[in-house]
Amino acid sequence: MTRLRGLGLGGITGNPQAFVASLAVMALLLAVPALRNGYVELTFRNILMFAAMSYGWNLLGGYTGYVSFGNVVFFGIGAYCSAVLSAHHVDSLWADVPLALACCALFAIVAGVPILRLRGHYFGIATLGIALAVADLANNLDALGGSGGLALKQLPQDQFSVYYYAMWSVALACMLGTFAIARSKLGYALVAIRENEDAAQVLGVWPTRYKVAAYALGAMMTGAAGAVYAPANGFIDPSIAFAVDDNVFPIVMSILGGMGTASGPFIGALLLAGLNEVLQSQFVKIHSLFFGAIIVLVVLFLPRGIMYLIGLRGGLRRYLHDRAAYRV
Amino acid sequence: MSDAATVVVDGVGVRFGGLWALREVSFEVRSGSVVGLIGPNGSGKTTLMNVISGVLKPAEGRVRYAGRTIADVATHDVCRLGIARTFQIVKPFAGLSVRENVAVGAMYGRDGATLSTAACFERAQALLEEVGLARVAGRPAGDLTIPDRKRLEVAKALALDPSLLLLDEVMAGLNASEVDEALALLRQVNARGVTLIVVEHLMKAIMSISTSIVVLAEGKKIAEGVPADIVRSPAVVEAYLGARYAARQARERR
Repeated sequence: MTRLRGLGLGGITGNPQAFVASLAVMALLLAVPALRNGYVELTFRNILMFAAMSYGWNLLGGYTGYVSFGNVVFFGIGAYCSAVLSAHHVDSLWADVPLALACCALFAIVAGVPILRLRGHYFGIATLGIALAVADLANNLDALGGSGGLALKQLPQDQFSVYYYAMWSVALACMLGTFAIARSKLGYALVAIRENEDAAQVLGVWPTRYKVAAYALGAMMTGAAGAVYAPANGFIDPSIAFAVDDNVFPIVMSILGGMGTASGPFIGALLLAGLNEVLQSQFVKIHSLFFGAIIVLVVLFLPRGIMYLIGLRGGLRRYLHDRAAYRV
Repeated sequence: MSDAATVVVDGVGVRFGGLWALREVSFEVRSGSVVGLIGPNGSGKTTLMNVISGVLKPAEGRVRYAGRTIADVATHDVCRLGIARTFQIVKPFAGLSVRENVAVGAMYGRDGATLSTAACFERAQALLEEVGLARVAGRPAGDLTIPDRKRLEVAKALALDPSLLLLDEVMAGLNASEVDEALALLRQVNARGVTLIVVEHLMKAIMSISTSIVVLAEGKKIAEGVPADIVRSPAVVEAYLGARYAARQARERR
């Protein structure tokens, strides 16, 4: 994977104008339920969900440079937290989300301490293994409904937008949280680890501690999205909770938008989830092919994402120079 | 151990596979002094720097600093003892600005926990002015030239507020006037009471700044003393230039 290096992205949070614009778009999205169109609301709730999951991946994958291929495990844990509570007749997002946050943080710390001692690709492989193992566990645990899944009690139709507002709040919290973390000492430790772990260490940064912190904070973001998704969907089984798409999309969205920035994941989710929606409706059978082609093109020609383009001064010449000099 | 010794290198041995990169190396560094560490390529200078800075644990012996054995301290905690280092192969955080690079040092250094982020940036700015990098403070570190990257290494290390600074070839690649600037900077740092251990290939530079010199060859200490004695030491000349040259020089001196 191309490492982020050598280019001014407008500071540690990314281009500030882009962040303000992202906040403005978020504010606009608050108006979506007022359109009273169930399909539109569902589409944008999905975009917000993916935005939250992208932020969840970005903290470790983008800022710290440790690529997780198994972040869906936290989405699943969050979703199952809500499902299990519902099975015990607790049906409130006020219970679902805190439980998901606690479980995901705990799981990330317990899993992260051993595997984040690994450097580079080995960590990614370990996360994939964990995701597969946990999905298998959910498939075979009767308490979690096994492969048959669990149904959740939903809010009545006239209150259904609560799920939208909840997902919006989660996405906003992820966006603001990422911004705050990036500007803090923690954010600088994460980027220092990404840029050169040995140099960070002699400057006093304890790599394992901060990598685990980034992993756990990202897990909480992803888990919160899962906790809201489960009751909104009304049903959860392992294939939904640990879906391959939910594992891959957040990574691609972060890359498309701009890894290691505070607005990249949101921009990526908006574009990619929106595009996926269009492709799915226009090319029912081969939309995955188009989608795959777009992913390949982005990784080849724009590995630093839209945020890089926004910050680009000097047009095509600078782009070609950067490609040659930094292999962006 | 004498009272004024701040670093005690005691019988240090480091083995890479079957090869001893360092063997039975012992010397002491007095507080406030400047010790030059010289030797031909592959003599173990950088390895010794890695041991003193806690990056490498020695197979034999130990390094003590201010009463603590370095190997017992986690690598990321060594800087909080007051030890800072630069890397011969510079390791800038390329995606961060020059100022941010230095600020990271201030954030996690000896007194980092007590400093606000803003205070860390203030210290970074002051250090950049001191090392002559203020003009590029906002630029990405990856855009710097090699001499500027060397300066950045020094500024990052100084941001830790060290009492012992290990400098690994910070003058390599600098031109004559830049070397003079670098020497002036190091004297200034030393004058503040910071002990320096300097690895350098530029003999003129290292001889002029060091209060004592330790010479390594093939992982062993072959000489130690004040600069004036070291340049006349037959063992040192032999290690650098070969036995035949040393013999000829000895004849000519007679």
